[in-house]
Amino acid sequence: MWDNYVMRSTRNVVEEDLGPEMGHYSDPPLLVLASLAGGPKHGHSMIEDIAGLCGTRLGPGTLYGAIARLEQQGWIEPLPAEERRRPYRITGEGLRVFKAKMATLEQFVKAGVARLGAF
Amino acid sequence: MKPGLARLLTRLYPRGWRERYGEEFVALLEDEAGGGLLAEVRAAVNVVWSALGERISPTPGGKMSRDPLSFGAIVRHPSAYVPIAMSVTALALLLGHIALFGTGPEVVINGRPDEGAVAHLWQLLMAAQLPVLAWFAIRWLPRAPRPTLGVLALQAGAVLAAMAPVFLLGL
Repeated sequence: MWDNYVMRSTRNVVEEDLGPEMGHYSDPPLLVLASLAGGPKHGHSMIEDIAGLCGTRLGPGTLYGAIARLEQQGWIEPLPAEERRRPYRITGEGLRVFKAKMATLEQFVKAGVARLGAF
Repeated sequence: MKPGLARLLTRLYPRGWRERYGEEFVALLEDEAGGGLLAEVRAAVNVVWSALGERISPTPGGKMSRDPLSFGAIVRHPSAYVPIAMSVTALALLLGHIALFGTGPEVVINGRPDEGAVAHLWQLLMAAQLPVLAWFAIRWLPRAPRPTLGVLALQAGAVLAAMAPVFLLGL
C-alpha cells in the first residue's frame, strides 16, 4: 500500500522489499517536469498523469514541495487560476533542464542494461 | 478529503507558503477525496511530513508570499516599470525645461532651427519604450490578463501624462 507512495523528498523512496514496486521511479521534481512537458496541468491532473507515466503516486505534500522548488528555480510557472485550481506549465529553461536530465538518464539506462546483459 | 481537514492540514505550513500555495493546495487535498479512509490517512501523513520539512528547510527563493500573477508582482518586472520610469523622466525633463527656459523659440544650430536637446531626449524616451511595452504586453497578457491590463493602463497614463504638455502647450 505504501510502497509506491512518495514522501517529501527522494530519501527513503526505495523500499527494502523486492516487490514489483521496486521499479518505480521517484524523483518528484523530475516527475513534475515530465508531466508538464506533456502540457499544462493543475495538481490533481499531475498526480494522475505521473501515476499513469510510471506508477508512482506522489503525495499532495510531495507534489507541492516539488512545485514550489521548481517554480523558484524558474523551471515551471503558474498560469491563471481556474476557480481554486492553479495550472502550471514548464518554461523554456525547464524544458532544457528536462531534456538534459533525460539524456543523462538515457545514457545511464544504456550502461545499466549493458551491465545487466553480463549476468 | 473534507474541506475542514484540508484547511487544518494546510495550516501546518509556514505562513508565506500558505499565502502563496494555500488555496490551490486545499483544492488539491479536496480533489484527492474518494480513495477511502486509508488513502486519506496516507495523504494526511504525507502533508504533515511535508509541512514539517517546509518548516525545517523552507523552499529557497523568497518570492513565496506573493502570487506571481498578481498586479503587485507583475508591476515589479522591469518590462512593467521601465516604460513608466521613461515616461516620468520624459515628463520631468520637459517640465524642468519649461520651468527654466519657458516655451521660447527653437534653438538655431549651424543656421538651422533645432528643437533642442530636451526635445530629442523626450522623443528618444517615448520611442524607446514602445518595444518594451510591446514585449510586456506579449509576455504578460496571455498569462494574467486582468492585472496586466491594469499595468498597461498605468503605462498608458504615464505616456499620456508625458505627452500632455507637448499638445497642450503646442510645443
